[in-house]
Amino acid sequence: MNHRRCIPALVAVAALGLTACGADPATGARVGSISTAQGWDAVVSAAEGQTVNWYMWGGDPTLNDFVNGYLADRLEPFDITINQVKVSDTAQAIDTMLGERQAGRSTDGSVDLVWVNGENFATGKQADLWACDWAQHLPNAALFDFGDPAVAMDFGVPVDGCEAVWQQANSALVYDSEALDESDVASVTSLIDWAEAHPGRFTYPAPPDFTGSMAVRTLLYDTIGGPDDLTGEFDESAYRDAVPALWDRLNDLEPALWRGGETYPQSQDQVEKMYADGEIDAYFTYGPGAVGDKVAVGVFPDSTREAVLAGGNIANNSFVGIPGNAAHPEAAMVLANLLQDPQTQLALYKAEGTYPGIDLARTDRATRDEFADVPRSPSVLPLERLLADAQPELAGAYVTRIEHDWKSEVLQR
Amino acid sequence: MTGLRAVRPRPVRLTRRRGGVPVALLLAPALTVVVVFFLGGISYAVAQSLGYQPFIGRHELGLAAYRDLAGDPAVRASFILTLRVALLGTAIAAVLGTSLALLVHRLGRGRRWAITMAQANLAVPHLVGALAIGLLLSQTGLIARLAHAAGFVGAPRDFPGLISDQYGIGIVAEYVWKETPFLTLLALNALGRGTAQLGDAARVLGARPWQRLRHVTIPAVLPPLAAGSVLVFAFAVGSYEVPYLLGRPYPATLPVVAYQYHTDVDLTYRAEAMAIAVLITALSVTALLAFLGLLGRIARRPA
Amino acid sequence: MSTAADRRTVRHLPLALVLAMLWAPWVPLVLRAFTDSWRFPAVLPERMTLRGFRTIAAPDSGVFEGLVLSLEIGIAVSALACLVGWPAGRALGTYQFRGRRAVQALLLTPVIVPALAAAMGLQILFVRLGLAGSPPGVMLVQLIPAVPYATSILAAGFANLDLDYETQARVLGARGPRRLLAVTIPLMRGPLVAAAVMAFLISWSDFLLALLIGAGQVKTLPVQLFAAVTATDTTVAAAVALTMVAPALLVMAAAAGPLARLSQANLGKGPL
Repeated sequence: MNHRRCIPALVAVAALGLTACGADPATGARVGSISTAQGWDAVVSAAEGQTVNWYMWGGDPTLNDFVNGYLADRLEPFDITINQVKVSDTAQAIDTMLGERQAGRSTDGSVDLVWVNGENFATGKQADLWACDWAQHLPNAALFDFGDPAVAMDFGVPVDGCEAVWQQANSALVYDSEALDESDVASVTSLIDWAEAHPGRFTYPAPPDFTGSMAVRTLLYDTIGGPDDLTGEFDESAYRDAVPALWDRLNDLEPALWRGGETYPQSQDQVEKMYADGEIDAYFTYGPGAVGDKVAVGVFPDSTREAVLAGGNIANNSFVGIPGNAAHPEAAMVLANLLQDPQTQLALYKAEGTYPGIDLARTDRATRDEFADVPRSPSVLPLERLLADAQPELAGAYVTRIEHDWKSEVLQR
Repeated sequence: MTGLRAVRPRPVRLTRRRGGVPVALLLAPALTVVVVFFLGGISYAVAQSLGYQPFIGRHELGLAAYRDLAGDPAVRASFILTLRVALLGTAIAAVLGTSLALLVHRLGRGRRWAITMAQANLAVPHLVGALAIGLLLSQTGLIARLAHAAGFVGAPRDFPGLISDQYGIGIVAEYVWKETPFLTLLALNALGRGTAQLGDAARVLGARPWQRLRHVTIPAVLPPLAAGSVLVFAFAVGSYEVPYLLGRPYPATLPVVAYQYHTDVDLTYRAEAMAIAVLITALSVTALLAFLGLLGRIARRPA
Repeated sequence: MSTAADRRTVRHLPLALVLAMLWAPWVPLVLRAFTDSWRFPAVLPERMTLRGFRTIAAPDSGVFEGLVLSLEIGIAVSALACLVGWPAGRALGTYQFRGRRAVQALLLTPVIVPALAAAMGLQILFVRLGLAGSPPGVMLVQLIPAVPYATSILAAGFANLDLDYETQARVLGARGPRRLLAVTIPLMRGPLVAAAVMAFLISWSDFLLALLIGAGQVKTLPVQLFAAVTATDTTVAAAVALTMVAPALLVMAAAAGPLARLSQANLGKGPL
């Protein structure tokens, strides 16, 4: 591990009684014995008066309100302030960190916490940008099963305590039930049939948009019968076997898409805006829980419904990571811990319909009941339905490659 | 535009500096800003485009980024789109601006309200313009809705795709919308200075309207209009938010691609981003030089 | 039947058309700011609302802070540009010296050549200096376009200034600072206001420089508007847009006189 990167994280880690960065080079990053109570208190007191510069995708007003309202209020007793830095793409946060690396700024970085997963996490990990070995020592780590691949791995990359679970994202198809009926949304094939019968009413954002990338992978899973052929590390020959049929299918689909597939929306936000304006009738989402709110305020029509297509939906956890050069790693850790608090998770579920990242089975009965009692919009699928056929993500290297090749095979063709 | 020496309102009486603060000292702060931040920044961008990355220990220089640019289909398409959008936006705004100026000028005494009407968009940020143009021209925009109400259009997709379109129509529309008032104002000022009397004189001497336009109006309006057009063109070449919001992912204009590469998590794209930024600079400098050359020719032409 | 009124209507039709074209985009923008649900193909909004403005007025929205930050940065840029542009304008507008043309050309280049390359080049240095992601950093890069504008406006003002007044004041014994305050500044009021307004508007409208140097951390109003426009809620975006236009129009209206004289001097506002 690069020692220079570790200096700021060292403060926090030392407070936790960890030795992540000062580890013996022979054995790598070793986590020392930790007296949790005392260590955590030290983190909390070091965090006092700090401001967490939290880089996160800022396209969701409800979530922004949650961050600057609920979370800010709960951090007040700790004398910690949140500065939410809204980015339209998490890659911008990674870019800021890389820029600081490039400029040789190894301490006092401008990013303290990043809402991250997948390829952005992998990029950061590859460049050794993250502070590591802290997530499993948060007090709320008890709410997770670290043996669960969904917690220990992030798009095929070992988490190694470099990021802490926050939310669960399950993909779903959002559609207007006045335009599509249930048989249309039964499977990918029926959806494509519907799209071909109603050209211009469906699209997906151009990858590398996070959701657009998922839409492409949803079709990939359907085309090759699930993710099984592509599990594990990136394998060139497996990849080459899998994708030609996908590109053919996506190119065949183009005439049925918005604008005849000659172009694609820039972002998921634009897709949702087109749905709100009645320009399209269906789209894929990673945030099915947030749809209820949009229907309630009238941005989406009341006839909005959700579906999981046959073959299942792609699911992942999203995390918060702390850069190695963060100026305020202690406050970032306090916030990360707060994010995992069952009451926070419940409040977020109520506000947004965001599914809990924590293992509910590890919470107390009262908490589980509270989750069960949260009223659900008729537009939104219940959690059980979303979890029933959840499919894992591919390794980040596959995802990056698919996004890259999509440009030349589909967009620029 | 005084500095471009397009037109001077009054002869300048320049005196030699006597005593007091030396001229160099008076100029120093402004020159510092321009030389250090502007020229310095551009030089540093050039250095980075050549692969100079001192903070991660890379000092060797090369033209790799420029070679990559030449071979990058996204950049080639982007270059053509950028030029087309900027030229088209500037040309249409110049024609509309001149027409509007002539129409307003003709109003005579009552033109004040019209000038105010034409000027209102001057202070509006392009970001706002991009949003408004999108709401007007998109396939679910106000015009599409009116077309639907009039029975021309059934579904949104029946309406021509003017936003996020292949040709950058939406981008051009925004530039025209925002820059027409600017060019109108320049043309109006040129018209206001003495052309009325000259025009009257020409009429008395029996010049036809076309001849008056050709020999009086156009020579008066052309230099400031050309100067303004260079500004508009250079702006359009370097604008980011308008093509991002009204354009499409591929092809995108040069600044959009430059920013995309600049923020790519793969740092090797940084040099390419800088190279695109240098290219944008070169384009606008070329426009400026072409304009200055043109102005020189006009000035030398016998009256 | 062709009456005089008819003929006048026909005569003014082209003018009305062009003006209507310039004003048309305001219609959907303003409607949208007060509309919740407006699905295709409804020509008029189905449901009016103040939700957009309520959202941005909420203490957590950050839009108000953005407004204040943009005002602060704008005023700082404006003041600095005038301070820096004043002596340079004086030198260029009043004195003949060797290399005057070259200096003039150099000072004008940033008016025409976009600051994109300069800002991209500077970004890494600013990161190193701790200026990236900070309001002073954004202010500094915004000076790149602001200073040349202010300088050229002030230079034009000085060129038109009747120096005899100053000489008179000197002869009557007014010392430097006194002369400046009592004679020169009042005489230069018009160009000074125009320069200040221009520099302010450059800062107020700037998005790209704030994005490159502010790195998302300096949340000026344009940065917030861009985020709102790219987000799903168009109602909020339109409301933020109107919030951003209002101060610019107010400043323009308040400085209408000096700006009009400025355009007489053939100094356009430029395509911000």
